[in-house]
Parts: sequence; C-alpha cells; structure tokens
Amino acid sequence: MGTIISLIVPIITFSQNNVTIMKLIKYSSIFVGIITILVNPLCAQTYHAYVAAESDDQVYQIAFNAETEEGSVSDIIPVGQYPTETEGPHGINVGLKGEYWYLSIAHGTPYGWLYKFETGSNKFIDRTELGMFPASLETSKATGLLYVVNFNLHGDMEPSTVSVVDPEAMSVIKNIKTGIMPHGSRITGNGKFQYHVSMMTDELMEINTTNMKLSRRLSLSQKDDNLPRVKPTWADPHPQKNLVYVAGNGSDEIIEVDTDNWKILRRFEAGKAPYNLEVSNNGKHLVASYKGEAATGIWDLESGEEVAKVANSRKVTHGVSITPDSKYAFISVEGIGGQAGSVDVINLNTQERADVIEVGKQAGGIIYWKTTSK
Amino acid sequence: MKKAISLAITLCFIALITVPTWAQDSSYQIVLQPSTLSLEVDDTTTINGSILDPDGNTVQDSVAFYSRNSKSVSVSSDGKLKALKPGTFEIIAYAMAPNDDRLTKKLTVDVAYPPVTDIKFVKMPKKVYTKTALSVAYKITDAKGFNRENVEVEFSSSNSNVAYVDQFERLQSKKPGTTTITATAKEVSASWEVTVIENPVTSITLDHEKSPVRTGDVVHFKAIPKNKNGKAVNDAPVQYSFISQTDDNLGEAAAGQIQPDGRFVANQPGLYTITAKSGSAVSESTIRVNARNVQQELQVVGKGIISDVHTSDLWVWEGVDGGDYAITGTWGGNGEAYFWDVSDPANMSIIDTVTVDARTVNDVKISKDGRIGVITREGASDRKNGIVILDVSDPHNVSIISEYTKGLTGGVHNAFIYKDHVFAVNNGRRYDIIDISDPKNPTTVSRFELDTPGHSIHDVWVENGIAYSSNWDDGIVAVDVGSTPAAQSPERHSTGVGSLDNPVKLGSYSYPSGWNHAAFPFKSQSTDDFYVIAGDEAFPNGLNIEDGPTQPAGWIHFVKFEDGWDAPKEVARYQIPEAGTHNFWVKDDTLYIAYYNAGLRIVDISGELMGNLYEQGREIAKHIPTHPEGRISNAAMTWGPQPYKGYIFVSDWNSGIWAYKLQDSNTQGTN
Repeated sequence: MGTIISLIVPIITFSQNNVTIMKLIKYSSIFVGIITILVNPLCAQTYHAYVAAESDDQVYQIAFNAETEEGSVSDIIPVGQYPTETEGPHGINVGLKGEYWYLSIAHGTPYGWLYKFETGSNKFIDRTELGMFPASLETSKATGLLYVVNFNLHGDMEPSTVSVVDPEAMSVIKNIKTGIMPHGSRITGNGKFQYHVSMMTDELMEINTTNMKLSRRLSLSQKDDNLPRVKPTWADPHPQKNLVYVAGNGSDEIIEVDTDNWKILRRFEAGKAPYNLEVSNNGKHLVASYKGEAATGIWDLESGEEVAKVANSRKVTHGVSITPDSKYAFISVEGIGGQAGSVDVINLNTQERADVIEVGKQAGGIIYWKTTSK
Repeated sequence: MKKAISLAITLCFIALITVPTWAQDSSYQIVLQPSTLSLEVDDTTTINGSILDPDGNTVQDSVAFYSRNSKSVSVSSDGKLKALKPGTFEIIAYAMAPNDDRLTKKLTVDVAYPPVTDIKFVKMPKKVYTKTALSVAYKITDAKGFNRENVEVEFSSSNSNVAYVDQFERLQSKKPGTTTITATAKEVSASWEVTVIENPVTSITLDHEKSPVRTGDVVHFKAIPKNKNGKAVNDAPVQYSFISQTDDNLGEAAAGQIQPDGRFVANQPGLYTITAKSGSAVSESTIRVNARNVQQELQVVGKGIISDVHTSDLWVWEGVDGGDYAITGTWGGNGEAYFWDVSDPANMSIIDTVTVDARTVNDVKISKDGRIGVITREGASDRKNGIVILDVSDPHNVSIISEYTKGLTGGVHNAFIYKDHVFAVNNGRRYDIIDISDPKNPTTVSRFELDTPGHSIHDVWVENGIAYSSNWDDGIVAVDVGSTPAAQSPERHSTGVGSLDNPVKLGSYSYPSGWNHAAFPFKSQSTDDFYVIAGDEAFPNGLNIEDGPTQPAGWIHFVKFEDGWDAPKEVARYQIPEAGTHNFWVKDDTLYIAYYNAGLRIVDISGELMGNLYEQGREIAKHIPTHPEGRISNAAMTWGPQPYKGYIFVSDWNSGIWAYKLQDSNTQGTN
C-alpha cells in the first residue's frame, strides 16, 4: 500500500495545473486511503532492518512480525577484508530506492571504508576508501549523493571531514572539512541539508548538500571555556518542522535547535549519556538511546516530556531506528565483552519492549529497511 | 467486508492506470553545452548547464558538477574542467528541478593519449656474437613526457640474414655482418646498428664445488666459455639448462630448477645433467643428488584443549620460580588470557585467568625477566582498547598493573616487549613505542608510521635494536630503534642510526599479493646469509568462525638483503598447496611454522635457499592438531609456534595449546 501512495504523491505534486487529472488523482487517493485504513489491521506487517555488530565484523538482517511481536534473524553477512582482525562495521543506511545498503567500516588501512551491498540478497557490490573511522551516513534526496562523517575516534584532536560519495560510481567526490570528531549525521526530508555534530567542539554543523559546503555551525555549550562539555553525538532533523534534535552525550540532555533562526529553543534533561536519537515520522515522539543507563527514552515532543523510559536488554544502549509508520523503535544494544549484542524492539504505542532479537557482539549502527505484508 | 475491499482495490487500480503516463514524469531536464567532450591532456574548458521545463523553456541557467574521476578530469562545481590524464571519464551534472525533483545528467569526456614523440633503444651493445639471443630494450615517450607502454612496436632488420628481432623481442644473431634494427611506434622510429661477429667460443668448462649434493642444496655451476686458444671469452653469453633422471620417475613434477647465473637446486634425488651453451659450444656436467633425509618423528607430548573460545597467540617462559609457564590469548570471546603451567608438557593446565574488557586478546607477550606481561585489547565495550600490563611474577596469581590506552584506543592487534619498551601495533596504522620501565605509569616515547598511500601494519618483532614489521601491501619494513653490532642485518648496515625515541627506517620489501602478515629476521648459522622471512595471511575462501574447516592461502617468503637494505631480493619460498601460513619462529637453522589448516611444520632452512623448500625434502616433521572437542571440531587452525627448552609449543585457534618433541633420528642428513 505504501508503494501505491508513493506513486500517487508525486503525481499530485506534478499535476497541479491540470484540474481533471487532479480530480481523478484526488478520488483515487481517497480510495487508496480508505483501503489503507481497511486493509491495515488485517495484514500482518513485518518490519525488516539491518544492524551492524561492530566486534564481530558482521551485519545482521533482522525481521519483526508486528502481529506476533516476535523478531528473528533473516541473514548474517560477514563484512571486511581481514577476517582475523576486528575492522568494526559502524554506520549503516539504506539507499534512496531501497535497493542497496551502505556500511562504514571503521578500521581500514589506515582509513576506513564505505561498503555497498544489495538489499535482500546482501551481495557485496563495491567499496571505496573514506577518512579515519567513518561513522554515520545517509543519502540526500536532493543530490542522490551519500554523506559520511569521518569520526576519527582514535586519532589526534584535529578537524576531520565529511566525505561525499557518488553511490553509483562508489567514488569520493569531495571531502568537506568540519569539526573535531564529527558524528551522528542525518539529512532533512527534502535532502537539502545534512546535520551532524562536532563532538569535541560542542557544535551542531549544517552542510548544504547541493554546494557541498559547511553552511552553518552552532555552539551547543552554555560555557565559553572551550572544553567539550555537551559532547554531542547525534543530530536528527524533525520530519516536518525546521527543527533539529541533538543528543548531548556529555551533558545528559537533548537539545532542540530552530534551524530558521539557528538558535537553541529548548534543552531537555535526559537520561544518562544520550547517544543516538530519532524523531518519529509523525513528528510525535523522539526516541533516544541512553548509553550510560542501558535504557531508551521516549519523549513527547509537543509537551517536551519524557513519557517513558524503557530498560534495555543489556548494557550499553547504542542506535535507534523507527519504522516509518511511527509504531516501533528498533534499538541496538552493544553488550560487554563476550556478551552478544541485541536489538530491542519497542512498541511506541504501549511504550514497552515487545521483543529482543539476539545479534552479534557490540551491536551498533542500525537502520530500518522495509515493511512487508502477508 | 472482503467484497468492499476487493471493489476498492479494483477502483483504485483503474484510477491509477487512467493517469496519463506523462503525468508520472517530471520532464524537467538538464541540458549541457557542450553535450560531448573530446580533449587532450592539460586542455581546459567550461561546461554550461541549464534546466529546461517540459516545453523546452529554460527555467534555471546553472547546475552543479562533479567528477567521478577527479584525479583524471577535474571539474569545479560551476563547470570549469581540466583534463589531467588520458582515458574516458564521467562528469555528473546535478540540480533540483522547480518541483524539487532531483535531476542528473552524465557527460562522457574522452581525453586522448598525447602523440608518441620518441622511441629510443636502451643500452643495446654495438657488437654481439653469432648464435646468441639478446632481449631488446627500448623506451617510448609521448608529447607530455610520459613513458608509454601501451604502444605497439614493430621491428625490422636491414639484413635479416645477419640478425633480426623475433616475436618475443629478442635479437637473434645468425651470421657475421652488420645490420640496422629499426623500431617503429606510431609515427616515430629509432635505429640501432649492430655488428654480428663470429662467436669465438669453441669450448666451455663447467665446474661446481659442492659434493655430495642433497635435495635442496644450491649448487653453483660455473661455466667459462673459451676460444680456440683456451682463453676465456668473458663477454660471451652462456645459457644453462638441465635434464634429470630422478630415482622415482613415475610421473614426477619438476625435478629442480636452474637460474641464469648457473645456480641449481634439485627437488628430487637422482642424476642431473647440467648443460652450459654458448654459440655452438656446449658442455655438460652430471651430478648425483641424494635425498636430504632430515625427517624426524614428532611426538605429541601433551595438549590443553580449549573448547569454548578461539585461542590466539601464545608465549612460553621460565618463571621467576624456575617453573615453565605459558600464556594464551582468546579471539572473539570475553577478553580472557589464560595462564598455564607447562613445566610438565604432558600435563599442561590452566592456573590463572585474567579477564579484561575486550572481545579479542590477540597477542600476549612476557618480558625477558619473566615478571611483566602485556596483552592487547580489541573490541573494548568503551572503545578504549590499548594494552594491559600484568604482573606475572607469580603466574598462579597474575594481577593487572595498569591499562594503557593513551593514543591506543583504536585497538592493538599485536605487541612486542623489548628493553622495557612495548611496541604496540596501533589501530592497524602504526606502532607506538611505550616505555614501561615504570609499569604503573607507561609513557609513549615515539611512533613509527609509514607514509605510503593506504598504508597499514599488522605485526612487529624486535631483535638487536631493529624492528621488523609486517605491513600487508607495504610488505616487510626494517626500522632501526637502536641497533647493536649484534643486529642480524646486511653487512653494510651502520648500527645505531635510530633509537627507541627516534625510529629510523632502514629498508623494506613488498610483494604483489599484499598478504604480508609476519616478519622475522634470520641469520643463517650455516652460511652467514641474512634474510628477513616474511609470512602471509589470506582467506580467499573466507574464515569459518562457528563450524567447518577453513582453507586459507599464503606462504613463507625468504628475502635476502645481501647488497644492503635498499636491495632486497626474494630468493626462496616454503609453500604448501591449498593451505595458508600464520605465525612462525626461527631457531638456529630451523623454521617452525604455524601453517593454519596444515598444522605445525618444522623445516630445515640450513644452507643457501632457492626455490620452493616444500618440494625439496626439507620438511623435518609435521603434525596437524585437531580435536573433536575443539572450538570447531576436528579442524586445525594452527596459530603460533614457539620452540622452548627442547619442546615445541603451539597454539591452535580451534583447539588450544599443544606440546611436541622431536625424536632423535638415525636418518639425519648427509651433512
């Protein structure tokens, strides 16, 4: 059904000058809407996602059946070049059309890599070398290009870059200089701006995806002592409003930034060490992983209140990915030592953990892929 | 309800298919000027792009550009383009349409090769002897000064009865006279006048010194071409070859090999006739090659099976109490290092365990005095890996002295202890040299990192002040960290050019596979030759972590530096088919190899080395350690060996620790 809607929406956009066509499409859309409402409760939705196990050099393809609320592992994909060394798959995302998934490998020779795999078959397609410890990544709808932050976690304290990659040719076309330890990047729905944080300079960074330049930077700290206090680790733009939310890993807060006026609107006192966060597609909830608390926080963005804190299945909560229908949040949880990682699936309506899917060690980067119906 | 749904779906489908197809296409498009580009190297031009609406009206007069091959064709975002290298490349124009659709347009740029402007013969002699063959050397350059190797060259001879160039680009001299050889490439040509004179060689003497000869022994044949007066003709080329009559000639493979300089080695026992030829003169010499006969029985003395986790490296040492102990690491587990009492190798047992925050403790090392241990960490839950320094003076009660992560958070895969310093392989990027003379307060004193593109490092071993690192694509690298006169090195090496706080690179050697995983210095006790032995690691068939055997690849490379650090030569190998090497150790003239799926291999590397030692009867003993209760049952993945007090201790990734002893043999070699 989502596919039909996705076909209709651009047609509506384009056909604004043609009244007849518009009417036809309008009525069709109404039918589709009705069918969506009627059919949805009858269909068993299964959500599919990918999660990287950083200390096992594996990526897990997982599935979660919303009817039974049971999850399972669909495939385990070994990644990297040196099987006896830990190369650290870290950031993961699915391309615009859902045909490919992309993975950053942190430890390279010495630079890290971006890998490209076909979704479903999980067949390796190509790879290209990036900067030091590449981390989160996303493709822009505006340019079709991939933007990867080079976290440089283990390097010297010096400005790093955002690599811009042509995902078809798998070649780096530009490296944009940014702050120190850039991390946690996401792109606006229209694809025009990429937001990431500079962890060791306490800044939110904005990149104009079209001209591939750093367009704005905003200090997140409340002090002027040049010491990293907020230590931001993630930024996610609101799906409808001109807002960006930042995880203050060092200051235990979530920060709301108004991108129209480029200023901080609200600071929310959060759980310990918020690490990743994501705003649900309906704009209602923000889900944040509390890395230092082994918990996940669910926030009501309108009230600015944390409405639930869900304990995770083991220590070191890491990544967040919410299904497009805003019903479930997939949370990757790293574990410690030889402990396996996990994905906790949280029902955002009941605000309870629905299931735990066992995956590889140090589960980190996680991304929703698709929904299927029986 | 079902009927309602069915009707609704049908109506929806009809509605969809009645939407005109044009309505599904934005029809905005990028138009480029020019639409095709053919350039020459260094040409510059500007591309202009605009967006047209469905009616062909320009709605935007600029677009952005990028190059998919910016090192070959560069382009600025506003379309200023420069051709840098010959070939075919792609420029992408992109923009957002007024309706926010993403538009792209591909422009193919053909950059022509510059015209060939010159061809020259390189160091070709003016005179050659009849009935000889000589490879022709030449150099082609183009208008941009690049050397060109992709140009077809045609050769002609003004008198092919005197000499001509054959299809393999060798000059074949036939009879006395003078001819001009012409090489033509595109529009340019070069000439080489060569005089062929009668070959004065009428006889050859062919001698060698070594006798008796065993398989694997390198025999130096010396041929001296002479004229009719018996005088040596030193500039006459000599070609060597041989025929063999092996003792076992039932479908044998290659029986031996001979080098252009007359060095010969036999793989099989038998009779060998070596032939030396110059012009029409030929000489033969027949030798008897005996079996090397170095094989010995290898007794499995004991084993300590580890079933629940993969075992990584090991180190065996004499404790301060005089007992014998071993430490083994773990791979992909819970960050454990096991301490063993191996005083009785038949009954090895774990006496203590240290657990750190890591998934892999890959490497384990103990200081010479048996008091300090260093273990490496990868996969720490806080991503602060580094090393952990241990007090091992009582191996029954090991304690952690300190954890050192400064600058080492990215993961330490291997380490080496040398003179109160730890060489820690840092994040696969470099090694940090850390002073641990105060083990509670380690301090980094220096770093060594290559500057090659895409460089990496896997392991490092230090002896007599020279650090030998293994660096995948960059091969083996020798670095002076305070070398002493005892350093096993080429004769021309000046000692002490570097120090622990100022490491200085001496030399390196890389090979095409890029599989270099280990390096070990070796000064032959029998010949005084100096080698750096390089080991591979490769998994072309993947690595089975949970079940089933793994079939790695790779071999041992013997690299000689007899003409100095800047003149390495790979002279021999030890390669087992369908198996792959891991760590190894040299003691005296014996090589101990953990050959993954091929188990422990003990190899005689005495004497000069040439060819594949595996085929030369040099293998003294082998054992493939497997166990049904191993982490992976009955699958050898032998990780590391260490000869120690007459025993050989081995760690196996799938089964734990093993102890062996070579049995005295009555069938020693003939030397």
